Amino acid sequence: MHPAALPDEIQILEENPVGVGEYAVIGKSILRDDGYAKVTGKARFSADMAQHNMLIGKILYSSRPHARILKIDPSKAQALPGVEAVITSADAPDTRYGAFIFDRPILARERVRYVGEPVAAVAAISEQVAIEALKLIEVEYQDLPAVFDFQSALPDNAPQIHPQLQAYAAVNPYVRYGNVCMDARISLGDADEAFHQAHLIFENTFTTQPVHQGYLEPHACISAFDHTGRLTVWMETQQLSWDHASLARALNLPMTKIRLIPTYVGGGFGGKLNISIEPICCILTQITGRPVAITLTREEEFFAQHPQAPYKIILKTGVAKDGRIIAQDADILVDAGAYADQAVGIATKSAFSIQGCYSIPNCRARTRVVYTNNVDWGCMRGYGTTQPTFALETQLDMIAKELGMDPAEIRLRNLCQEGDSLISGQSICSVHIRETMEKALATAGYWEKKNALPKNFGIGIANVAKTSGLLASSASIRVNEDATVSIGTGIVDIGTGAHTVFRQIAAEVLGIPIEKISIASQDSDSAPFDIGSQASRTIFNTGNAVRIAAEDVRYQMLELASKTLKCDKEHLMFKNGSWVNFTSGAEIGFEALVGASLYAHQGPLLGHGSYMSTRPLDKPVGEGFYEHAYPTFTFSTQVALVEVDPQTGKIEVREFTSCHDIGKALHPNAVEGQIEGAVLQGIGLAILEEIITQDGVVKNPNLVDYRMPTAMDAIDIKVILIEEPDEKGPFGAKGIGEAPIIGVAPAIANAIFDATGVMVKQLPIHLERLFFAIQERNQ
Amino acid sequence: MLFDIVLTINDREHRLQVSPDERLVDVLHDRLGLTGTKKGCGSGDCGACTVLLDGSPIVSCLQLAIACQGKPITTIEGLAVDDEHLHPLQEAFIRHGAVQCGFCTPGMILSAKKLLDDVPDPDDAAIRSALAGNLCRCTGYIKIFDAVKSAGQAIRGGS
Repeated sequence: MHPAALPDEIQILEENPVGVGEYAVIGKSILRDDGYAKVTGKARFSADMAQHNMLIGKILYSSRPHARILKIDPSKAQALPGVEAVITSADAPDTRYGAFIFDRPILARERVRYVGEPVAAVAAISEQVAIEALKLIEVEYQDLPAVFDFQSALPDNAPQIHPQLQAYAAVNPYVRYGNVCMDARISLGDADEAFHQAHLIFENTFTTQPVHQGYLEPHACISAFDHTGRLTVWMETQQLSWDHASLARALNLPMTKIRLIPTYVGGGFGGKLNISIEPICCILTQITGRPVAITLTREEEFFAQHPQAPYKIILKTGVAKDGRIIAQDADILVDAGAYADQAVGIATKSAFSIQGCYSIPNCRARTRVVYTNNVDWGCMRGYGTTQPTFALETQLDMIAKELGMDPAEIRLRNLCQEGDSLISGQSICSVHIRETMEKALATAGYWEKKNALPKNFGIGIANVAKTSGLLASSASIRVNEDATVSIGTGIVDIGTGAHTVFRQIAAEVLGIPIEKISIASQDSDSAPFDIGSQASRTIFNTGNAVRIAAEDVRYQMLELASKTLKCDKEHLMFKNGSWVNFTSGAEIGFEALVGASLYAHQGPLLGHGSYMSTRPLDKPVGEGFYEHAYPTFTFSTQVALVEVDPQTGKIEVREFTSCHDIGKALHPNAVEGQIEGAVLQGIGLAILEEIITQDGVVKNPNLVDYRMPTAMDAIDIKVILIEEPDEKGPFGAKGIGEAPIIGVAPAIANAIFDATGVMVKQLPIHLERLFFAIQERNQ
Repeated sequence: MLFDIVLTINDREHRLQVSPDERLVDVLHDRLGLTGTKKGCGSGDCGACTVLLDGSPIVSCLQLAIACQGKPITTIEGLAVDDEHLHPLQEAFIRHGAVQCGFCTPGMILSAKKLLDDVPDPDDAAIRSALAGNLCRCTGYIKIFDAVKSAGQAIRGGS
């Protein structure tokens, strides 16, 4: 009965088979199902889920970047009226959790590794009492030497941040030593020989800054015992299923003893993938027996969460006389901060992205992920593809200039072809980069503008290849007694409109009005397993799972229709939500079949869909990498037109063109929304945003000194969609969540290079940095 | 020390005892359950807690509750006529896809309401300026601008 094994006859019975012809709701920007709740204030986020008798939790953070904890005395805090619990690592299970390497304790054990590491926590009757109590906890530290950059963290004699590094459990056996928690190499072809053959070799060092994902909703969670006595957590998450497993691991409980209820999520962008405050909150509930809420402040968001890790990339590129890239070498260093979190994942992605969207037959990469005593850095939208794309795309413009070529020309000459080998060993597929480039250049008026811009104006291009899809998704379709339909999914709609698109997919397959379909209320008990809203995978993966589940229901209905109408399945066709016997004309509709299923024939209709989009590559890939082969890629071209004031270094982005190979836009308005939002985020990353740290202390932990784009910075973006259906995507769709942010910084850097002749290889290119770069060039 | 105060919120009077340092956002969100008013930063930088005080947008995290007596307060919960009849701005935000995660939406809509109350036909610069204190990380603001323009048209058409 599994839809993957559908008999052949169903294919010919469908008058309007999936993937062909006009659709009823696919491709239409229907109203989103969360809009009403969100514009009326009825939508509730984690911090809005107050429970009866609830306590307020607050966390005491390490004030030292690296120190031994000699003593914690909670007694004065415990004695404060209104304090119900004070916890330290002594109250927490001795477990470690993490995304790839399980290195992180719930509360610091014996040692603190960064300013902002949770050391103790309090539950009290009010926020004020909790804050007072934190001040009364006495912690005695013995400082240890600390390291804050690659230079001081890498030497053999550097102070070791994780003496137990080798003993940590990990999802893969990463090569680890000193402060390095992953060291891996990979190559394709013969880079040495190709560099030997190269006409010119370019080598540059590129750095990218730590940035905050910038979601407006600070992390919050509420834990409580439910009516059965089970630990229940309301939380915002991009990754319900994994968080469920992680929290169980951290608390040393079976998953059946914990129930997560995802609320609306006030933005994620990679910042809400993993658990952080939840285990602390749960322990406070376990000890007090009462509901506990922890809501982070904006300041805590900067030092106690997981902003995107800073990078250093040394990129060496060898080109032939005609501009063909024949060799490339990337040495990638990722500052993980105090714990590994997502750094291993993004570092892997970075190594596998060094070819960009180009045919580079000989290349190699080395990637090292380095612990420091900085914030526990994480990942952001673009997940490790952003950084090497910045390096490669700006390097290309420097090469083009040296060779006397146009930046567009050198790109067109090197574009990858379907089936080209990637460094990972898989071949690239669903390639439409030539189309995105041609469309973007035409729309931006690139060729006309290129040499006709006024002084201090410049135009720049960047191309992007981004993997789409990741790992597993599942979905269920339940047909209710009133012939409405509930979709079960582990995907939390973090604001993208994914739930609306799932409804569109189910409506299209089942042939019923979309109003009849809703997303089932979610919790970790009932929501089908899903790797989550990340990795440009939600629509591709879970969309496929929903499609399969809906097809499963439709097939069950076919069998039922055959019994009810007393005819062979071969004589039935599906039309407008009804099964019609095309020889007799007899038909039975959706509602009648639902009734038949519940009270007469086979039993209730329940569809199931499981989908795995990636397959593991050889273990390891190269030396020390662990990665998957991806089902498809999204290709993009971004074109920026900027004006630079050379007197001040001020940069104004005047025009922006953003063209994406989306496969099929299932909900064009939501696709545009993803692109417009991602491009403005990208502008922030390119010229505005940077978390400044000094000896591991964040110096700008607020939204004034950390400057995100406002309405004053917004620009009209010319969005272009290339729709060439992907054969594996649901109704042809590819992912669009990340591709539009990746090329923004290099397109802007290249435009500045065009305007000024100065290439800034360090992000962000804020006015001061550009000003001094221009000054230096002029001397 | 607690003080007895009366706050008029969404045309209803609420009798409360507050301490003099209690912020309006906490009274609304934590004590009255008006959770549509969001806490994004606590320092007036993000605009998520924007409400209308005497018709003008303020960030309620920088406003003491005790100082709001005698002035009508409108939160997002008080904007629609009823469940069936949304304010034109609410309608337009849904229709234009100006809502993604929704966390900035209440404050954004209330800032826009004051703009449209004053200037029913705002130009682009006026819209940007009116919304400059409300951060949105999801949309890139473009669809929000579209929604505000469209709501302005609806309001003008309806009057």
